[in-house]
Amino acid sequence: MAGPPTAVSHRRRFLIGLALAALLGVGIAAALLTGARQAEANERARRQAVVTLAALTTVLEQAGGGGAQAAEAPEPPAAAEPAGGGMGLGDELAAIEQGGTAAPADAGEAMRRAVARFAETHPEVTAIRVLELGGITLEASTDPRDQGAKQAPRRLAPDEKPFFDLGQKLRAAVAGNREGAEGAARQPEISVVRQPGGTLSLAAPIERGGEVAGMVQMDTRTRPDAVEFAWLPFLAALLGPVIALLLISLALGERRGLLAGAAALVLLAGLYLYGRYALDVLGRERRTSGQAVAARIAAEAKTAQTLLAEIGVPAVQPQPLSPESWDMDELRQPLGLVTSGGQLDEGKLGELVGADAGRMTRSVITLGLIALALLAFVGLGWAARTGGALVQYRIAYAYTIPALLGMLVLVFFPFFYGIALSFTNANIYNTDKSIYETWIGLGNYTSILSDFGIARRTAEGLVWNYQNFYYTLFFTLVWTVSNVVIGVSLGLTLALILNLKDFAFRSFYRVLLILPWAVPTYITALIWQGMFHRQFGVINQILRIFGATPIAWFDGPFTSFLAVLTTNGWLSFPFMMVISLGALQSISADLYEAAKVDGATRWQQFRAITLPSLRPALVPAIILSVIWTFNQFIVIYLVSAGQPAGATEILITQAYKLAFEQYRYGYAAAYSVVIFLILLAYGTWQNRVTGATEAIG
Amino acid sequence: MSRNIRKKRRGNDEPRHWPLHLFLILMLIVTCYPILLVVTIAFSGGQSLAITDIPDNATLGERVRAITPWPENWSLSNFRSLFGDQPFARWLLNSVIVASATTVLGVFLACTAAYSFSRFRFPGRRAGLMSFLVSQMFPGTLMLIPLFIIIQFLGLGSTYTGLVLLYCTTAIPFCVWNMKGYFDTIPKELEESALIDGASQATIFFRIVLPLAKPAVAVTALFSFMTGWNEFILAATLMNREEMYTVPVGLRFFVSGFSQQWGYFAAGSIVAAIPIMVLFMVLQKFLVSGLTAGAVKG
Repeated sequence: MAGPPTAVSHRRRFLIGLALAALLGVGIAAALLTGARQAEANERARRQAVVTLAALTTVLEQAGGGGAQAAEAPEPPAAAEPAGGGMGLGDELAAIEQGGTAAPADAGEAMRRAVARFAETHPEVTAIRVLELGGITLEASTDPRDQGAKQAPRRLAPDEKPFFDLGQKLRAAVAGNREGAEGAARQPEISVVRQPGGTLSLAAPIERGGEVAGMVQMDTRTRPDAVEFAWLPFLAALLGPVIALLLISLALGERRGLLAGAAALVLLAGLYLYGRYALDVLGRERRTSGQAVAARIAAEAKTAQTLLAEIGVPAVQPQPLSPESWDMDELRQPLGLVTSGGQLDEGKLGELVGADAGRMTRSVITLGLIALALLAFVGLGWAARTGGALVQYRIAYAYTIPALLGMLVLVFFPFFYGIALSFTNANIYNTDKSIYETWIGLGNYTSILSDFGIARRTAEGLVWNYQNFYYTLFFTLVWTVSNVVIGVSLGLTLALILNLKDFAFRSFYRVLLILPWAVPTYITALIWQGMFHRQFGVINQILRIFGATPIAWFDGPFTSFLAVLTTNGWLSFPFMMVISLGALQSISADLYEAAKVDGATRWQQFRAITLPSLRPALVPAIILSVIWTFNQFIVIYLVSAGQPAGATEILITQAYKLAFEQYRYGYAAAYSVVIFLILLAYGTWQNRVTGATEAIG
Repeated sequence: MSRNIRKKRRGNDEPRHWPLHLFLILMLIVTCYPILLVVTIAFSGGQSLAITDIPDNATLGERVRAITPWPENWSLSNFRSLFGDQPFARWLLNSVIVASATTVLGVFLACTAAYSFSRFRFPGRRAGLMSFLVSQMFPGTLMLIPLFIIIQFLGLGSTYTGLVLLYCTTAIPFCVWNMKGYFDTIPKELEESALIDGASQATIFFRIVLPLAKPAVAVTALFSFMTGWNEFILAATLMNREEMYTVPVGLRFFVSGFSQQWGYFAAGSIVAAIPIMVLFMVLQKFLVSGLTAGAVKG
């Protein structure tokens, strides 16, 4: 399409392009920054709540721990002393009533007092409930609903099963993490759930003598600091480059190359400065968080000390409080941002900020590329041309757009998302993380493509590594070629027979021979899998009629291959037969008559007339069937399932298993991209050789 | 002269055909056997994969009986309990809903796009057509992983909506190519004369072209319905809850795991496949022309 003859203003285009690009880039950056600040504010509130929870847990463990353990342990250890030795007034009464040996009741009473006092000193805590896992009892509660008949201590009611289950889950998590199977995913040991209405519901296990004996649940009102959108820096980063370009363009005039360079430069400068600003803001937020948490730790430590003294746990404690470990993650590992002196650990903070900077750099680079693309699109006039075309061919586009939009959303977005995934180590456990956090670059590709360990030499000879990519590729090629050869030769032979003049029952044979094509593939695959069954399968029964021993088909790579090959041969030859038959029938009989007159033999007729006439129909059919067989998922997946040990896995089933049985999404995505590239190369080559897509023209 | 030749050939060739007939009969046995086996198991009334029980020291007769696809006694009990105490009716309903929704959405979107690709020449036409073709080349798993994550993220796992969206990714390109092939054969002159008579572009499409293309629309719709009906991988990956299974996933469920219920599988296969197979046999020549039309025609 020829451009309009009137002169276009490059200046105006670049200015508009720059404004749009800056709006896009800085807009996304500002949105990301606001999101990150809000996340940090939420995290700060969470950490503070966790510190309170940790303090509460420590108080409870010290108040109730010794006594309860003494009741279970055969010999009363020294830890029993504190609870018994330092009775408060209430404890004394209880001790008199229940006799000197009722240590658990003492412990329970101490816990209830501690819980009550803790709730008094923390007005933001709305409810504390303590669960004793051993007796399935509610040991203590300040929940307003646990009044009167439901007052603690009591057994849990059936409808409180979720509460008990949570305790069980945390206990299982602690035990599982202690055993610490290498590589196994670790389970969170404390639970933090945000309730509607701004309440955090936290739960942590209570340990006694190294075992989880109970759980404390605490509901607390928190109000994360509200984060406001910072307009001033946003507008500065948006308008700054535009004004700068305006000024520069006064000097440059209509020189296109220079204008493009200047626009790109000011755009990147604006983004860079905004990135620096964002990093600074985030750093300050991190510091604020650290200081707030440190302050909370100091306050809680003091409260805990007084509380413990008040309810009668003596100053000589089994273990010191160690409040610096109260600032912890969900695995109860200290974050280590606050030192034992109650100060911020500058080194750790620096590491965090450094990680932020790394992420920020990647975000800014991505945003810069997107913004530059937009700038080029508008500035270089592509936008104008696209707009012009849209207007000129609006009817054509109106018809196409619904389907194209559908394809864009359903096919092309997932496709590019899949490619992006292939550069990450995404798996089922980190799908909630952003692509930046799981980004590992070309790691998946190198580990797939650079592993040439196809076979190992051992004492018993060569041992194949069936998980190796190149083995699977080799097997896939063997599988594809043998299937297509079988399909074409069988289909063509049958078609030639059925095309014979005067051949009796032609249409009868034809209809029955097409049947396998009509059967849904999954039914074919499942029934053949049954027929190859070692004990009940028909194939082995037939073998036994001839005196052969039954074969365990799926135990050996070669027999397994034969089984899948048979299945696929059965379902794929009718297609080739139908295609060939159609082409054969369209050959004019006059050609053969003429050849006969010239004295050509049957073979010469076949070579000179039949084969060339078959070519236009057979070639696309072969292309199609190569791609179908290469991607023949169902037969492999349902018949052999890759047995033995992945020996009969083809590329596509292997990728599926990586994704949906091992849940290695990133790795499987990279695997699939490699498959796609192989198919693309094949398609391009095929297209060049045969010109099969000429119809588009 | 020519009559003489033909007579002579007939006289000579007929007997020479018998090895070919032998070969074809062998092929017929191979093609029909699995189908007959399914029928046998379905009507046997039991759940066993074997046709009869055979002892280790079976005679030749017993062994031949064990591979003859004919049930020992005919029974409809597998069909009765399939719809009685098995959730098969629910799976059928799921399959009908998903396949129909896919067909309606896919064919509607495809008709307009195919018409545009067939009639108009516009920038991006070639790229658009190529993109439909290339998207068919994307390996299923490459699409499946991101789509699975997205669909889980949207909370559409084990729902009709999720599966229909997935099926549309394969249905739309197929429908577009199929419909475009047919629109290409409708003479352009019809529309040109309508245009001269003052018809609008929309009138031409809805009043003239679509009615003419009815057979193609029907065939395309039936094929995309059959694709959705027979699809296994996506449904097996997405539909995790038993009451949301489609027929293929449910049938596989019968014969996987420890208690393999081959009787239910066979009976269910017959119910699910017979209508589709009949349709397929009727429509098969359209499919062949559709598949090769794009490639053969210049």
